Amino acid sequence: MRILVISLILLLAILHQDWWWWEAKEPLVFGFMPIGLAWHAGISLAAGLVGLMAVRFCWPDHLDDEVVEEAVAETGKEEAS
Amino acid sequence: MSFTIILCYLSLLLFLGVFAGRLLKKSSGDFFLASRGIGPFMLLMSVFGTTMTAFALIGSTGKTFEFGIGVYGLMASWSGIIHAAIFFLIGAKVWALGKKHGYVTQLSYFRDRYQSDGLVLLLFPLVVCFVVLYLLIGVIGAGRFIEGVTPETFSESTAVTTVPLAAVPADLKIPADWQKRVTVKNGELSVSGSLHPKRKGLFMPLSKAPEWKKAVNELMKKAPRGAVPKPAGMAIVCLVVLFYVFFGGMRATAWANTMQTLVFMVMGLIAFYVITDALGGPVEASKKLLANEGKNSVMAREGLIGKWQFLTYCFIPLSVGMFPHLFQHWLTARKASNFKLTVVAHPICILITWVPCVLLGMWAFGILPDGTNPNAVLGMMVARYSGEVLAGLIGAGVLAAIMSSMDSQFLCLSSLFTNDIVSHHFSQKEISDEKKILLGRGFVVAIVLVCYLIGLSNTQSVFDLGVWCFTGFAGLFPILFAALYWKRSNKQGAIAGVLTLAVLETTGYLLSLGEHEGEFLILGMMPVAFIVTITTAVMVLVTLLTPPPNDEIVEKFFPAKN
Repeated sequence: MRILVISLILLLAILHQDWWWWEAKEPLVFGFMPIGLAWHAGISLAAGLVGLMAVRFCWPDHLDDEVVEEAVAETGKEEAS
Repeated sequence: MSFTIILCYLSLLLFLGVFAGRLLKKSSGDFFLASRGIGPFMLLMSVFGTTMTAFALIGSTGKTFEFGIGVYGLMASWSGIIHAAIFFLIGAKVWALGKKHGYVTQLSYFRDRYQSDGLVLLLFPLVVCFVVLYLLIGVIGAGRFIEGVTPETFSESTAVTTVPLAAVPADLKIPADWQKRVTVKNGELSVSGSLHPKRKGLFMPLSKAPEWKKAVNELMKKAPRGAVPKPAGMAIVCLVVLFYVFFGGMRATAWANTMQTLVFMVMGLIAFYVITDALGGPVEASKKLLANEGKNSVMAREGLIGKWQFLTYCFIPLSVGMFPHLFQHWLTARKASNFKLTVVAHPICILITWVPCVLLGMWAFGILPDGTNPNAVLGMMVARYSGEVLAGLIGAGVLAAIMSSMDSQFLCLSSLFTNDIVSHHFSQKEISDEKKILLGRGFVVAIVLVCYLIGLSNTQSVFDLGVWCFTGFAGLFPILFAALYWKRSNKQGAIAGVLTLAVLETTGYLLSLGEHEGEFLILGMMPVAFIVTITTAVMVLVTLLTPPPNDEIVEKFFPAKN
């Protein structure tokens, strides 16, 4: 899953460089948004979705666990002394 | 009216500062890091508010007016992707290290990771310089903005402005209720009191004679605007931010940021709705612009933005990773998983804030005259299509965007001075927590004062230099990334990287002073692309040519997973 998320981020970076819409003013998405702007608004939405996948499937849960373990260990030391 | 609304908003922030101050525990951990107890929503709002300045509202509209819709891809969608990746890869990891080892600032982490006071002493002036520049843009911007949105706040009834009028036009009719203030006699036009620029629209139709138009134009240039002067506006904003940071520390900053972020997002949307409605709806506005052959170039990117510039702009958002004020916000989170919401929602918040402003800037290009000052575009659209109440509310929104970055920067500079310089270098014994808070507050006052005084002096050079502060932070990013993810990285490599950045940054700035059209580019690319690449290369090379860090450090920062 980590590889998929990294691939999606790279894909977003590639899709960001939309030279194919460079001169296009039309079509107007929803009747008012030039395609070049709509495309990049879509990139922002997609970045949010990829972020959702990243936190859902690749989140480093050990970061919170490590801190909790550390705190428990500290408390143990204090009690023992 | 606008000024009254702005004052009401600022009073609300003062109240918030008092309230947060009452909850302040007497510990430096609470003053500088809100006891590391910030939840997911406040973290999102703090981080988003801190990364977005007034540029998100005024700059985005103005830049679109100048360079077309490509501005969104250039600045906003790159930021959406890269900021989110940084929060995921850097933010959560920094938080865990901060919590584990008790770091309060970015520099304390670097000192510990590289075991080098020299590196910190090298980084300190650079980081302070970049933050102060960033801060100054906010302080001066706030002063200018308040001055711009508060005409006729002071009537200046004693002031009389007189301009020559070749002959009294035959068709001229001065309304009866104006006659106390407006006098036309013997080839001159006199007006008492201050004049709002909008009054031009009322004066002009009074006569069709060309000499009248000329006299009115002259009058509008000469008459006092009666606005809150820039130094006073700067002072008001500085004092309000100083007040709530001084009394409430990071807790007040996080609360204020949450409120301010919501305010500027909502106000941006309201401005968009009202103006769009006045233009006959978004579809009608875009259709009109598309049909206008001379003006519709802003609906695409050709001829306005270079393709390599568009690509290499991706290096600029890396600066967020090295913003010391953002680093400090990361440390305030209650737990690492609180970053999840920020990672997901940050690009969406950018979308919500930027798309309406970019559309307004695009439509404005078809409406406002050529040569309009880009920074005045949003204000002019608001003035043209809405009333004073909305202008005041949007003014509050813009100030919210400015202050939500300023407060974190003031607090962060104070933390750097207190924790990394005074506590570390000048104290033989451990400084008590109460003294640290006292020192922190003292530094906040000193920094605010210094920024205010610089802001009063040569302002344009500050704006010219401002662009380079983002480049500088981005150039330092590889050092942070290596510190977090490369076991082999050592202090020699980091120091070499910082020195390289300092040299390249200075060279780049000096080169940019020469003559060039539009944005300063090298081979059509952003200078930051070269700076980040060269800094990284030097850091890696020097690291590989010098001894690796000792095992103790590697074990501390890269513990073996069980």
